[in-house]
Amino acid sequence: MTPSTQDSPESSGGDWPSDWLRATLGLFALRALEAGPSYGYAIIGEFERHGLGTVKGGTLYPLLTRYEAAGLVATEWRPGDAGPGRKYFALTEHGLDELQRLRTEWARFAEVSNSYLGTTQPGKEINP
Amino acid sequence: MIATVSDKKWFDEFIVELRLRDVLGHAIGDAVASARELLADTGQSAEEAFGPARTYAASLELPRDSGPGWATRGLWPTLLGVLAFLLFVHVFVAWAQDDRFLVSPARLALLVAPAALVAFLPLYLQAAMRRPWLLGLLLLIGAVLGFLSSAVAPALPGEAWLSLDPVPWLLGSTTSMVLLSLWNTVQTLRRGNVDDITTPLPDQLPHRYRARRAFLMLTNWFFPLFSAIILGLFLLLQR
Repeated sequence: MTPSTQDSPESSGGDWPSDWLRATLGLFALRALEAGPSYGYAIIGEFERHGLGTVKGGTLYPLLTRYEAAGLVATEWRPGDAGPGRKYFALTEHGLDELQRLRTEWARFAEVSNSYLGTTQPGKEINP
Repeated sequence: MIATVSDKKWFDEFIVELRLRDVLGHAIGDAVASARELLADTGQSAEEAFGPARTYAASLELPRDSGPGWATRGLWPTLLGVLAFLLFVHVFVAWAQDDRFLVSPARLALLVAPAALVAFLPLYLQAAMRRPWLLGLLLLIGAVLGFLSSAVAPALPGEAWLSLDPVPWLLGSTTSMVLLSLWNTVQTLRRGNVDDITTPLPDQLPHRYRARRAFLMLTNWFFPLFSAIILGLFLLLQR
């Protein structure tokens, strides 16, 4: 796992508009922790591997501190082999519930959005 | 990862910004260690990974001290201590020469000026904390004002606007310094290790914290100690 260190959400490897990534990063961060506790660099690598682009620490860590304050994630420091140690983030029960809720809502939103985007009404004026 | 000079500056700024936001010491240590961890993994510079230190510090939701702010807690008593010490030095000179403390309007203005610098501190405090050179400049201005107020001291009682007995002022300034030091000591003891920036992993030795605490206690008593040294030297030279 070697996340690129050059790109930001603004010029992500996935080339997604930065607004999209910013809006969905919270959901993706919860998803990244679903399989088990993980740490900052590994989460960034996970996003990159799945084509979501490269997220900077300055974007990810504030989100994780907000989730920690909200009780969605718990943290634990583990000693590193040679480095300064690693801070592991893990989903709490509350975080898992929130992930399921957001996942369901996202599926609904995607369905509605796709349905809307799939229909074309050329030349028709939109009236309320 | 080798810490660069710019990274060191970034982390220094980061810690100051978190302090200004009254983030608890252990949370500052945690945030710093987290940032270092990512930099070690990615090889990025701190600015590259996290952006400006001030913006990054503002974006983190970290546990903060719910009590009085750091300025109320530590800064005001210290600055009042500075003023008491300046007054002590001025009246001490008059007392040592067995003279009265003579005040002309010019001298009074120069004595009041440092107090005004302290009184208006809330207007520029954060700017001063973020720019160490500004703090240095303020200290320099204070020292120059102190020197000038001595330089313009009236030579004769007839030239003075006020002629004061130095003893009550000497006792008053000394008592103020001792009371402020006591206040700071009580605050230091009451807060325990809340302000200590601790690493999340126990790799720091307890004696480091003990040494830091001892140093903090010493700084609480800096002005009374320095005043005692001045008095001691004077009495020694009198022999």
